[in-house]
Amino acid sequence: MSPVVVLARKEAGELVLSPRGIAWLLAMAAALSVFGLLLVGNTELSLLDNAQVVYDMAGIVTALGALLAVVVGNDSIAGERERGSLMALLLTPISRAGLVTGKMGGLVIAWVLMFLIAVPYLWAVGSTGQNLVAAILGVALFGTPVVLSFGLFAMGLAARLGSSRSSLIATLIALLVSGSPVVLGPSLRQSAIGRMFDAINPFSGAVNAFDSVIIDSQPIAAQAGRLGLTIVWLALATWFAYSGVRRLAR
Amino acid sequence: MLIDIRSLSLKVGDHQILHDVHLALNAGEIYGLVGPNGAGKTTTIAAAMGLLNREGGTISVLGDDPGIDARSIRARCGVLPEQNGFYDWMNAADYLGFFARLYAFERTLREIQERLTQVGLEPHPRQTIGTFSRGMRQRLGLARALIGNPELLVLDEPTNGLDPRGRREIHNVLIELSRRGVGILLCTHLLDDVDRLCHRIGLIVHGRTVAEGTLAELIQKADKRTRFRVRLGGPLPKAERGPSHVSIVAEQGDWAVVDLDPGTAPAVAWRELLLAGWPVVEIHAAGGGLEDLYLSLTEDKAA
Repeated sequence: MSPVVVLARKEAGELVLSPRGIAWLLAMAAALSVFGLLLVGNTELSLLDNAQVVYDMAGIVTALGALLAVVVGNDSIAGERERGSLMALLLTPISRAGLVTGKMGGLVIAWVLMFLIAVPYLWAVGSTGQNLVAAILGVALFGTPVVLSFGLFAMGLAARLGSSRSSLIATLIALLVSGSPVVLGPSLRQSAIGRMFDAINPFSGAVNAFDSVIIDSQPIAAQAGRLGLTIVWLALATWFAYSGVRRLAR
Repeated sequence: MLIDIRSLSLKVGDHQILHDVHLALNAGEIYGLVGPNGAGKTTTIAAAMGLLNREGGTISVLGDDPGIDARSIRARCGVLPEQNGFYDWMNAADYLGFFARLYAFERTLREIQERLTQVGLEPHPRQTIGTFSRGMRQRLGLARALIGNPELLVLDEPTNGLDPRGRREIHNVLIELSRRGVGILLCTHLLDDVDRLCHRIGLIVHGRTVAEGTLAELIQKADKRTRFRVRLGGPLPKAERGPSHVSIVAEQGDWAVVDLDPGTAPAVAWRELLLAGWPVVEIHAAGGGLEDLYLSLTEDKAA
């Protein structure tokens, strides 16, 4: 078995078998439950159009997925370093590239688990189910690169910064900044700066694609530009993680 | 030669950690790398494993340069680092199985149990590492270092946290491995471990190798006498000429404190005493050995 697969399996095992990993997944499920209940239970929110509710939930799933990826990515490097287990890994024959790829496998598995947890919530908030397929495809296609980008960015930062806390806080700030246009509302997003930020922000790219696919029922093929934006960010984050891990212990 | 380090110098950031380190380890040899905290022992190990880039000098480990082919070196080495963390949610067998696969070995459960038994660790199969004592963790770390059948073992403080019996058991494991031809680089500040195990010693102070050789050679070079306490069964003979390689430091009732001249093997000295008519009942080491040598050499360089 390839060392990369061995490492990815260990990362997955840590997520589903260690108390820490189980707590993270339970926290994500709890957060989805709260948002789901708000969307269907709150008087004002329950008046929203069905497609709008599913769109909101898709954005929430992507944001929570990115949050989980940040925590997992940061822990897989900085957490292991602080617990003293990273050195033992660095002293095995696995290459630095293999180490990042194996850890990235752990991120992918974390996101797949999160996605599986999220599907029933997407179904539950969209009472008619007419937007469910578009939402699942949208989150899988546009959400995945965004989530993995943040996880890899967290890994790269964790490899560069000395402390787990510093790298986690820095990555969470980056996540908040990236997600801010979504929170700040349409008026700011229509400004010149807002539009420029939207054009380069992977999170905006994914959310705008959800808007087009879920609410406007546009074909996914029409979102190639936005998909390209998220993939460019994924490529940059992958390079950032590889170059950071290459410098570990040097 | 398994490790051959010459004139190694290394910087971490702007800090010059190593200035001039020498180290030569042969197959089947146990080499003690000793020195005060911060002397550069762990940094030397990191450079030998390709974790840090050297600034100057040469390093050859198992015939390869760690700056070029560190992975090939790591595949043939077992390392127990000083900072020794584990995956607390795993059990010992799963943990060793994971590392064996990283070394591209598919170990059977029986082989893994053998490794655990070899280091004196026999936990309950379902016991997770999180519940292990410090000594059990240290043994598991050693089992991990052995999982890839290494030609070279690099151990940083391997007996930390072990009780006297545990230390003796680990000593026996290391001696047995050395007899089988495994070279062992033992980095420690426990001079008793060095005294008991090591064929040769290298002393690093402030990033420089200040002494290297067997204990007897180092004591001779440093002109350090080896001090012993000799219990006597009667008065000392009143001879005009006493033993030539032993000088009496003090006499205290039934005991005499003696220094052996530099380079004198204790067996030679005891024969001299007996031939000179000393009523020797028992002999105990009383300083003047590795500890005194270490203190004097580190003091000289620190001053």
